[in-house]
Amino acid sequence: MTTLYPRKLSGGAFEQSLKDFRSIVGDQWVLSGEEDRATYIDPYALGDGADHDCSAIIAPASTEEVQAVVRAANRHKVPLWPVGRGKNLGYGGASPAEKGDVILDLSRMNRILEVDEHHAHCLLEPGVGFFDLYYHLQEKKIPLWMSVPGNSWGSVIGNALDRGLGYTPYGDHCEQICGMEVVLPDGDIVRTGMGAQNGSKGWQHYKYGYGPGWDQMFFQSNFGIVTKAGLWLQPEPEMTARIELAFPRFDDAAWAIDILADLRRRDVIQHNIVFGSPVRAASTMSQRADWYEGEGAIPDSVSEEMMKKLGLGWWNAKINLYGHEGIVTAQVALIRKLFEPRLGRRLDFQFWRKGEPLEKSAQGVPTTMGLQCVNWYGGRGGHLSFAPVMPSDGKLALAYAKKIKAYYEEIGQDYYASFTIGRRHINNVSLILYNRDDPAMVARADRLYRHLLAEAASQGFAEYRGHISYMDAVADTFDFGGHALRRLNDKVKACLDPNAILAPGRNGIGSGSGPRAASGTGEAA
Amino acid sequence: MKRFPLAAAALLLALSACSADKGTAGKAAPAQDASPIVTATFGRASGDAGERLFGEKCAFCHVGKSTGAMMLRRRLDESQPAELHKRTDLSADYVKQVVRVGMNNMPYFNRVELPDDQLDAIAAYLARNSK
Repeated sequence: MTTLYPRKLSGGAFEQSLKDFRSIVGDQWVLSGEEDRATYIDPYALGDGADHDCSAIIAPASTEEVQAVVRAANRHKVPLWPVGRGKNLGYGGASPAEKGDVILDLSRMNRILEVDEHHAHCLLEPGVGFFDLYYHLQEKKIPLWMSVPGNSWGSVIGNALDRGLGYTPYGDHCEQICGMEVVLPDGDIVRTGMGAQNGSKGWQHYKYGYGPGWDQMFFQSNFGIVTKAGLWLQPEPEMTARIELAFPRFDDAAWAIDILADLRRRDVIQHNIVFGSPVRAASTMSQRADWYEGEGAIPDSVSEEMMKKLGLGWWNAKINLYGHEGIVTAQVALIRKLFEPRLGRRLDFQFWRKGEPLEKSAQGVPTTMGLQCVNWYGGRGGHLSFAPVMPSDGKLALAYAKKIKAYYEEIGQDYYASFTIGRRHINNVSLILYNRDDPAMVARADRLYRHLLAEAASQGFAEYRGHISYMDAVADTFDFGGHALRRLNDKVKACLDPNAILAPGRNGIGSGSGPRAASGTGEAA
Repeated sequence: MKRFPLAAAALLLALSACSADKGTAGKAAPAQDASPIVTATFGRASGDAGERLFGEKCAFCHVGKSTGAMMLRRRLDESQPAELHKRTDLSADYVKQVVRVGMNNMPYFNRVELPDDQLDAIAAYLARNSK
């Protein structure tokens, strides 16, 4: 059986480290066999995923066990790749950026430690999933709502730490984190914000504490392992309204994004708005072969058939409104006034009032329906996202969309785009769907991603979140001052984690640092 | 344009339409057009450990209008329902094999998120209708 060792560790040294890890978490919770490692390979990998294979998995059950594992990892110079639940699909799943790292799977730490109904917050361990928290709130009839991402299979805290998004008022997930408990690379433990005080009563009430606020240091980084975090939840509103807008012409993006962005900036619309192309909607309910089996990108004529059949536009936006009845009613009137004359039709909102069945409401309900899109091309599918941040300007977005669509067509990939409209920015999500077992398609996906990255950088735009295969490449585009940010990150990394045992290479931080140069492979008896 | 499943168009409507269900958290038997809330909470309150674990680990992809059920509807003939818990042709060994190694676009499950004893309970639950 093929065995993989981290960095330049010998087989004997690695086996000794596993013995130590087993003594901490128990034999059952250290996995190193080939079959177990295979179940941690990214199911959406570009290819077979072996280039991001791990050498073992450790699954602690408590903060104390995490601390002990980190200390042992320092002794043995074993790099750890922490994951909440390992479901960061589209960004590498559970797989480490650097081959051979040991996955630290925190999914057994899955306690909902507290839900404060009155103040609308909770305290979670990183293994708590969106479905777990949703069920907890439903079962206990707690009138608090949560935001959910498009793929809700993963960890609530893990998603927030990677700056994941949802599409309800608390959808900027990292903004909802209030207070964290973090195991540092030397095994020390720190609580951020007001939690730095023993017996704090304000840990989940106020984010900043006294002095510098370190919380952001632990987002998209490798400076610590978050073992608890507070999360703000949305008090159940009195009323909601929802509507789906279909914009029939491609060029409608210019005026529609400007109006929607203004409504978002003024908090008339309280959530980030998805503004997506036809394939985005069609791929969650059908396969490409249902529409077109030709080579190259789907022609516009087929997209227009798709739109006609599914009631879509070239751009499609979902808008939800929340609040007291008077506010929601006024917001509905404003949106009707702004869009009905332009769209030439009456907008029929769906309303929900407190006490009615929640199915009618605009509540965030966890779902995995978005994963259906990986079946678009058939075969074992995957998706890769490139989503640069740009100013929320309609003309700019339209010009960019035209350019990117033309490149998708040139390379022979179906154009799948959405603009996630925030208060002052938009993320232009270019999703790349592929059949991971088709080497030509995988190579095309890689070429497309790298082109999008370079094109965005040339215009002053950069990605907000990175796939494990492109973390260095994305970090390279943050190049002010001769990559001054990378130098700062690497200095902090070297100071806190001199043995580079926490997630080397995460978001381009500490790549190639520490005693690691390459992982080795060997044959175990 | 090629074929387009009517079920998919119906789904688009169902996703935005309301349901008459109320207080559905943890209920075991969804209606034919189960709402996303039923899908998200299926089986959670069940007294049957297998059904409860199926609800916790599998139902969000395999109950109601869900991604696994949609993919299976394409692959299975009409003699079998697409929702796993209604199937009558599953053996426990088959379930365990698919869960550990995956199938098509269904990801594999590791032994931390789903230890062997829990998988045994789920497999027995899904095989209960098989002859």
